[in-house]
Amino acid sequence: MASQAAPGAPSGSVPPAIRASGLVKTFGTLRAVDDVTFELAPGRIYGLLGPNGSGKTTLIRLLAGLTLPTAGWAEVLGTRMPSRQNLERIGYMTQADGVYTALTVAENLRFFGAVYGVDGDEPAAAALAVVDLADRRESIVGTLSGGQRRRLSLACALIHRPPVLFLDEPTVGVDPLLRVEFWAHFRTLADAGTTIVVSSHVMDEADRCDELLFVRSGRVLARGTGQEIRARAGTADLEQAFLRLGGDVAVTR
Amino acid sequence: MSRRRVVAIFRRVAAEIRRDRPSLALLFIAPILITGLVTFILRDSQAPQVTAIVVNMAGVRGQLVQTALGAALQHGGAIVSDVADQAAARAAIADSGATVGIVIGTDGASGSPLTITVITNGIDPAGEAAQVATVQRAALTAAGNASGTVPPAILHTTLYGTPSDDPISNFAPAIVGFFAYFFVYILTGVSFLRERTGGTLERLMATPVTRGEVVLGYTLGFGLFATIQVAVLILWALGSLHVPALGPLPAFSVGLGVAVNGSPLLAFLVVVLLAVGAVSLGIFLSTFARTELQVIQFIPIVLAPQFLLSGVLFPVSTLPSILQPLVAIMPLNYAVDGLRQVFIRGADLGVAALQLDLVVLAVVAAFFATIAALTIRRDVV
Repeated sequence: MASQAAPGAPSGSVPPAIRASGLVKTFGTLRAVDDVTFELAPGRIYGLLGPNGSGKTTLIRLLAGLTLPTAGWAEVLGTRMPSRQNLERIGYMTQADGVYTALTVAENLRFFGAVYGVDGDEPAAAALAVVDLADRRESIVGTLSGGQRRRLSLACALIHRPPVLFLDEPTVGVDPLLRVEFWAHFRTLADAGTTIVVSSHVMDEADRCDELLFVRSGRVLARGTGQEIRARAGTADLEQAFLRLGGDVAVTR
Repeated sequence: MSRRRVVAIFRRVAAEIRRDRPSLALLFIAPILITGLVTFILRDSQAPQVTAIVVNMAGVRGQLVQTALGAALQHGGAIVSDVADQAAARAAIADSGATVGIVIGTDGASGSPLTITVITNGIDPAGEAAQVATVQRAALTAAGNASGTVPPAILHTTLYGTPSDDPISNFAPAIVGFFAYFFVYILTGVSFLRERTGGTLERLMATPVTRGEVVLGYTLGFGLFATIQVAVLILWALGSLHVPALGPLPAFSVGLGVAVNGSPLLAFLVVVLLAVGAVSLGIFLSTFARTELQVIQFIPIVLAPQFLLSGVLFPVSTLPSILQPLVAIMPLNYAVDGLRQVFIRGADLGVAALQLDLVVLAVVAAFFATIAALTIRRDVV
């Protein structure tokens, strides 16, 4: 499982890949993200778990600099967000597929590659191999299944080999077999130093993360490895743990 | 601004349009179909058939008029018959036996002028106005014949071009401008809305792309197709290819054959500037739409006033003075004027009026490009 044993906040020697300090985002009276502070170490997979509407996507958007915080700040790889320059080092897989349905798979990859300044066919071929879509290279995206589009969406986020990856519900609509492959690949990337933040409301994916952050009503209610959270809640079941720690989540298996 | 990213967006937009066959058809075939139809209607509409029923209620004096007017009408191709009273005339018009009733008024005090009252159905004002005009012309002729003095002929000459009877030479420049504006707006608006709602804009904003690069890429992509559309439309408007009769098929000609006195390239420049503004307008307005239907719903608010206030149908000079300030801010107005300057006046770049049109169109395009970029929300500085 976890390649590093260190739980909780990273040790002082390695600078954190991602930092958030007092992050707040309000929409009118709604506090979508409510005073979130954490440090995430490089080369680890962090799971943002929480029910729909708990603020996971807004938190990711704040970290990626796609929206300005109402208060507080976020930092990625030592650079305060938002920073356009820094986006070259960040991969972002949106909750919507965010791919061009009138174009072919190859054209989508070529486009996002060009936008990130990536040359040649090799990065596109590598990204396609990861998501197992090489045989659909020339297919129009509109003709692909929902799961295949999800895979292309992931490939587009990987094309520039970013050291930080934000994946917003990456496995929705992906069949179980490929889901296993996705997670195996996330692990490979993390082992190579990539910091990955995955949001999910699927509990059985939680144990694949090095650390979990339970999010509810915009707050991080609990943080730790799966083991730690189970121990703290006094239950062997993560779902139960989540409920006991305050997140009465509708759980999907 | 990265050239590479702009080119990437341009190529992507162009590839999307190229794949979208129905939109391509809309872009090229629809304007040709509509301008062709309008031209056919305006050029080949038939003169109204006048069936007149004349009632004389003015005794002997009236009889002279009745005879002279009847002769003049018949000379002009009208069918004329006489009835005894107004009621009979009205009945004939009501059951479509006649198109106009002409009542020659009763003898009042001796020496008072006769009145002629023309009665029509009242259902089709435009068609009936043509009938009344025919009666008026016949009355003039009749008066001239009766008095022995020929009314003066009014000759018309113009500073630019010739006062041809071809209404298309005035209409074609306006319609070329309007169609370029209309289709570019619709296609950009819908396309950018998809970008907003499909999640691709969100993803694009998570890349190093700037808003300016997005607007420029879009402008180039849609600008390319607008340019081809305008080129095709101008060729269609100016061209005239005669196809001789073949077997049972009558001879016909392809193209509107509009006379152009200026450089087609200048006309082209005017429309391209207009189209560039339309791209940004589409991006800007897509901010306020949630669905593709809503982009279409902006047409009555944004495009219809331009159509009415830019001299496409109604000459700008005849519009109510209270609307004139609105006319002054309609981008299409400057394009239509610029195109007429080129088509009819044969203006070149040295003509102040054309210079003004081009400058205004360029400023409008720059203005909308700026606000379009601002609506592409990103907090990244």
